[in-house]
Amino acid sequence: MMLLRVPLDGLQWLGGLAGFTLRWLRVASRTRPPLARTLEEAYRIGVQSLPVLLTISVFVGTNLTLQGYNAFVPLGGQRLVGMFVALAGVRELAPLIAAAMVASKAGTEMASQIAVMRTREQIDALEVMAVNPYGHLVTPRLYGILVVMPALSLISVFTTVASSWAVATWQLGLNSATFLEFARTSTRMSDLMTGEVKALVFAVIIALVSCYCGFESEKGPAGVGKATNRAVVVSCVMCVTFNYLVSQALYG
Amino acid sequence: MLDTLAALGRFGRFVAQVAWRAATPPWNHGDLFRHIWTVTVRCAGPVAAVTFPFGMVIGLQGLAIFDLFGAQRLLPSLISVAVLRELSPGLASLLVAAQAGSSYAAELGSMRIKEELDATEIMAVDSLRWHVAPRVAALVVACPMLNTLGNAAGLFGGFVMAVPIQGENAGVYWANLWTFVNVGDLVGGLVKTALFGAIIGLVACYHGFYATGGAAGVGRAVNDTVVRATLTFFGANYLLTSAMFG
Repeated sequence: MMLLRVPLDGLQWLGGLAGFTLRWLRVASRTRPPLARTLEEAYRIGVQSLPVLLTISVFVGTNLTLQGYNAFVPLGGQRLVGMFVALAGVRELAPLIAAAMVASKAGTEMASQIAVMRTREQIDALEVMAVNPYGHLVTPRLYGILVVMPALSLISVFTTVASSWAVATWQLGLNSATFLEFARTSTRMSDLMTGEVKALVFAVIIALVSCYCGFESEKGPAGVGKATNRAVVVSCVMCVTFNYLVSQALYG
Repeated sequence: MLDTLAALGRFGRFVAQVAWRAATPPWNHGDLFRHIWTVTVRCAGPVAAVTFPFGMVIGLQGLAIFDLFGAQRLLPSLISVAVLRELSPGLASLLVAAQAGSSYAAELGSMRIKEELDATEIMAVDSLRWHVAPRVAALVVACPMLNTLGNAAGLFGGFVMAVPIQGENAGVYWANLWTFVNVGDLVGGLVKTALFGAIIGLVACYHGFYATGGAAGVGRAVNDTVVRATLTFFGANYLLTSAMFG
C-alpha cells in the first residue's frame, strides 16, 4: 500500500498542477498583462536573487576549474580547461544554477507569500472582491520571472567563466591567453541561445510550481513551511529533469 | 552591518551550545534514529531524481566533446570524477538543504510560533538538547548516505546515456570507470557531505529556533535557511576542494 501511495500521490499532485496551469492560462489569455506589477516583480526577483546567484556562480566556476584541471592533468591536456569550463558553464550549468538559486530565493518567497495569504484567508477575500486570484497573484510573478531569468542566466555564465579564469591563471598558473582562446573558440552563439531557452523553460516551471504550492498549502504556520519546502524541492527536480530533456533534444 | 555581526555572533553561540549538547549525554536516541530515517526516506527520491538526469547530461555533453578526439573510452573516467568528487556531494547537499533543512526550519519555527518550545523549557526539558541536537546529528549521518545514493544514481545515469542510448560498449564503460578515481575520492565525498550536513542542520535549526512573526516569519525562516545554507556549504566546498585537490 505504502509503495503504491507515493507514485499515486505524485501523479495526483501533477494533475493538480496541470489543472492550475490551465486555469491560469484561461485567465491570462483573457486579460492584458499588468505591466507595472510585472516590472515590480521582475525587479524584486532579479535583485533578490542576484547576490546569491553571483556567489554561487563564483564557487561553481572555481570548483569546475579545479576538477577539470585535475581530470586533464594526467592526459597532459591542461590547456583544455578553458574549453571544458566554457562548454559546461554555457550549455548546462549556468542556466541550472540560475534556476536553482531563483527557486530557492524567489520561488520559496512566492510560495510562502501566497501560503500566508491562504492562511489569512486573503485569497478568499480577493475572490469575494471579484478579483481573480490567478490573474492577481500568479500573472505578475510568472511574467516577472520570465523577464529576469535569461538575464540572470547570462550573468551566471559570465561570473562562472570569469571566476574560473581567475582560478586558472592565479591559483593554477595556467596561461591566460590560452584559456580565453579555448573558451572562445569552443562555444558558439547557439550554445548561449540554448542556455537562454532553458532559462525561460525553468522560469515557467519555477513560477507555476511555487505559486501552485502556495495556493494548495494547508492553513497555519506548519502549512506555510511545508508549502515553501515543497516548492523548492519540486522546482529543482523538475528543472533538472527538463534540462536533460532539452539537452537530449538539442545535442543528442 | 552591526546587525549582521550580532546575528553571526548569535549563530556562533548557537553552534557552540548545540555542539556541547551533542557531545555530552543524555542523548535523545529515539528522535535521532527517527530523524535519520525520515530524512533519508524523504530525500532519497529527490536526490536520485536529480543526480540521475545530471549523470545522463554529463554523458551526453562528454561524448560530444570526446567524439572530437575519438577518445570516447575516456567518457566513464570523466563521469566518475565529476560525479564522485563534486556533483553528487553538491547536489545531494543542495537537495538536503532544500528538503530536510527547510522542513527542520519549518518544524522548529512553527514550534516557536506556537510557543511549544517555551512550553518544553518550562517543563525543564532542554529544547536544544531535545529538539535541535538530534536533528543536526541526523543530517550529519544522513547526508553521506544520500551522497552514496547520489553517486550510484549519477554513475548509472551516465551508463544509461553512454551504453543503451549512444551505443558505446558496456565493458569499456565499466573498465574505464575507475581510471582516475580511487577510494580517497569516495571517502573525500563522504567527509565533505558529513560536514555539509552539519552546516545545513545548524543553519536550519538556527533559523527555525529564532523564528519570529507568525506564519510569515516561518516562511521567511525557511527561505533564509535554503539560501544561507547553500551559500555556506558551496563556500566550504571550494575551500575543501582546494585543500584536497588544489
